[in-house]
Amino acid sequence: MNTIECSALTKRYGAARGVEDLSFGIEEGEIFGYLGPNGSGKTTTIRCLMGLLAPTSGQCRVLGAPVVPGKATRHARIGYLPGDFRIWPQYTARQSLRLMAALGSSNDTECRRNELADRLDLNLDRRVGALSKGNRQKVGVIYALQHRTDLLILDEPTIGLDPLISQIVLDLIREACESGATILLSSHDLAEVAAVCARAAILREGRLIELAPISQIVRQGERRLKIWFAKGSQVPALPADRLPGVRVISQDSDTLHIAYQGTAEAVLKWIAGFPIDRIATPQTSLQEAFMQYYERQAGP
Amino acid sequence: MSNERSPFPIPLLRFWVLRILPAWFFIGLVIFLFQIMICAMVHDDKRIEAWLKLLDMLPAIVKTSLGGDMLQAGNTSALIAIGYQHPLIMLLYMLFAVGVPATLLPGEIQKGTMELILARRVTKTQAYICAGFITVAGMFALVLVMFLGTVLGTSIYDFGPALRLYPFFKSAVIGGLLASAVGGIALLAAASFQRNIAVWLTVAYLVLNYFLAVFTEWWTRIKWLQPATIFHYVDGPRIFNESAWPLDDVAVLLSLLVVSTVAGAVIWSRRDLQL
Repeated sequence: MNTIECSALTKRYGAARGVEDLSFGIEEGEIFGYLGPNGSGKTTTIRCLMGLLAPTSGQCRVLGAPVVPGKATRHARIGYLPGDFRIWPQYTARQSLRLMAALGSSNDTECRRNELADRLDLNLDRRVGALSKGNRQKVGVIYALQHRTDLLILDEPTIGLDPLISQIVLDLIREACESGATILLSSHDLAEVAAVCARAAILREGRLIELAPISQIVRQGERRLKIWFAKGSQVPALPADRLPGVRVISQDSDTLHIAYQGTAEAVLKWIAGFPIDRIATPQTSLQEAFMQYYERQAGP
Repeated sequence: MSNERSPFPIPLLRFWVLRILPAWFFIGLVIFLFQIMICAMVHDDKRIEAWLKLLDMLPAIVKTSLGGDMLQAGNTSALIAIGYQHPLIMLLYMLFAVGVPATLLPGEIQKGTMELILARRVTKTQAYICAGFITVAGMFALVLVMFLGTVLGTSIYDFGPALRLYPFFKSAVIGGLLASAVGGIALLAAASFQRNIAVWLTVAYLVLNYFLAVFTEWWTRIKWLQPATIFHYVDGPRIFNESAWPLDDVAVLLSLLVVSTVAGAVIWSRRDLQL
């Protein structure tokens, strides 16, 4: 049984688009990445899953129950971090977190809260209003993780955090998964998602454009080849008719840097006819892969 | 189980009560002291005569807004009751009635904290009930404080056996209903709009009603408009002169409270919050 199930979920804000006809499922015990740029519909989906927004059509199920808007469906078993975490500035982090814990399940959260604060290097007894943006985000992470829940829905959990603390948050996410929780991790950062997720969905303008293992998403980007031709030889012109999908990134007197899609077979056959000094395959960064993927899906 | 119920969020209710308490305490203290001050003034015959003379020199509408023809030397009850309808007291009640729902519902939404609350085991309806309870109970508690101020004031300054406190109690209860009905309207506005719009709409409604009540009392040609104002249903002379409770007025105020509160609840539960 899927822990999260969206069936033909559509949410419109009047004439404006929210999300359109989304269908996907998240398996129990999975860390699922939910990728897309700002405004692509990630937060709208999450708010529908949390029952904070009523879908225009379609349905969501969490932990086996259909989500009824405003009815706190299964919230005792869900840890949630909103994308824009804000909390009462006049109270200390501990006071606010205690209230939130009291509004949740009955299990004792004090130990867990202190443990999380230690790991995130946060003083819970300072007023939230006096905390930096990054420290306020840490309060949000504790808000989501202070209960031992079956499902975590995290909307951009590392936003505003430094790389060290981001790494700790990703570790906490992995640990939650190891202890049996299912996690929906929304982000616009493919590297972050790739670090912890096995599978991800990509949203563009409210529509799901991909649902695949991370490795496949990364693979679908362009690959690169840098060729050094033997000294004294000419760098040949790229035969566009024989090598569709291959483009020149840069070229100088003895090197050619190209990008291609699919297999390298045709490119290698072509360059085999020239005197080659060496070949390198520069890694495409995850971010580049994401951007390429996104641009390709956007079409001309 | 898909229909597991969320327990009533007592911690949220307690948290909100503690947030509102300083404002409630301040308003209650001013209202309480004001009643004692009025008793002190009314107790001094010379001072009250001078004050009534001054009132007669001012535009008639001022006297109307404080109790009209009932304000006469010797009519102790009416004079003490000034403390129940003085514009300052009205303003304080209005501040509480408008401020509490606006702070607790759209205020929490705009602060971003309603999203956190509703992401826990709290339904939208429960959050609304908490805000509604604090508004209505807070109003009645203020009215009780006002009555206690009168009780203390009349025991400090002896007005003799002719002064009966029961009409003041009736007046306080009906005043509490009026204040709660205003709170219901404020809840309806708070459930439907953003904070500033909700505040302005409720204030506009109250100011319109207040001045309509004063003008219809003062200008007989528009007297027929009196039932249109909410203040018409707290009829001072009737409360003080008749021993029976004005049940028809009570019914109107109760209906207004129930209808506005329920309408607010329906709108609140159905609309997407601007989180």
